Amino acid sequence: MTEVETRSEPQGQISLVDLLDRLLGTGVVLAGDVVISLAGVDLVGVRLHALITSVRAEMRADGRDR
Amino acid sequence: MAEHGQYLYAVARGVEPAALSAARGLHDQPLRVLEHRGLDAVLSTVDLDEFGEEGLHRNLEDLTWLEAVARGHDAVVQAVAQSGAVAPMRLATIFTSDDGVRGRLDELYEALTAALDRVEGRHEWSVKVYAPERAAEPSAAPTTAPGSGADYLRRKKAQTLEKQTAEDDALRIADTVHDTLAAQCVASRRLRPQDPRLTGHEGTMTLNGAYLVDDHLAGSFTEVATRLAEENPQSRVEVQGPWPPYSFATLEQP
Amino acid sequence: MNEPIKVLPQRLETDSESVEKDLFKLVLTVIELVRQLMEKQALRRVDEGDLTEEQIEGLGMGLMHLESAMQELKDRYDLTTADLNIDLGPLGTLLSE
Repeated sequence: MTEVETRSEPQGQISLVDLLDRLLGTGVVLAGDVVISLAGVDLVGVRLHALITSVRAEMRADGRDR
Repeated sequence: MAEHGQYLYAVARGVEPAALSAARGLHDQPLRVLEHRGLDAVLSTVDLDEFGEEGLHRNLEDLTWLEAVARGHDAVVQAVAQSGAVAPMRLATIFTSDDGVRGRLDELYEALTAALDRVEGRHEWSVKVYAPERAAEPSAAPTTAPGSGADYLRRKKAQTLEKQTAEDDALRIADTVHDTLAAQCVASRRLRPQDPRLTGHEGTMTLNGAYLVDDHLAGSFTEVATRLAEENPQSRVEVQGPWPPYSFATLEQP
Repeated sequence: MNEPIKVLPQRLETDSESVEKDLFKLVLTVIELVRQLMEKQALRRVDEGDLTEEQIEGLGMGLMHLESAMQELKDRYDLTTADLNIDLGPLGTLLSE
């Protein structure tokens, strides 16, 4: 069973993400950090990147030491 | 007291005023064509509070603003494309004066001419491939009963291998689709797969291809895409077009 | 522009009612990450072939219990693995599956 969707509507039918990918040299991404807010007030910015990097480093170090 | 700049949407040749008469620039401003050495620069006036360096820095991270400007920009590009080959500019290409525009056209004269020649009589087609859907987590009933710890690890290992094989297969299919389509057209590019949270798509996008296709060969191009989809029934192949040649005529800004 | 435009840092909106569930989601996500990393690491150690049969058995049982406990926690709060999968943007999603 095949699925080929062909759309040939040249006027304004390009999706926003497709458009932004092309109009912005580098595209657009969603930022990766998490912000925890309470009642509309941003409270904590969780830098998950730093957390992941340090956890992975720990795992690698454990593997080598034993 | 806001200062004004000129927003450059695209460069083309032989733009017909009639094609632009119904179109408007951003914030409903009139469009203007500046002709220079045979090239037509399509412009409208914008506010530098919004489009100057500081304004852009602020606005570029606002998805609502981006959407409005991208749509407005595309509407102008599509209108210009009615007259023939068009070289779209990147979003927010701003000049403080007409002389600035002419200066840039001089700098980019060869590149612009080459780009316009390249896309004459051609349009961009987008082909996206999505990996086969895999069965949901195999972790049915959580139980510590069946088998030993060693069995558990063996099961996990098998699952990892199966996942890796599936990923390798999906990427191979993407490569095959791209290589086959690339051979069908004048130029091609692989763009970065898109974030599902932005697009809302299901499954993993393994190919985000852009193809520059002669208008009179568009039919056979889509036939080839259909054949590729039939040969890879587990994947989803999405073909869109014809679009203005954004991926093939937009020049990298220095 | 050398870097992609970034929009919308992911917000965990909490109010007094859903504070518990949202924070729990965050905590569970981090635990799930560690659990998956531990499993990957264990498989690697087994492949390296320097573990005794007893150690392999112990590792497997421990991880099996961990997976079971994790599933129970997810069930209690009606969460799937996908629910926990916080995205890190360019780093990809937090959990591999």
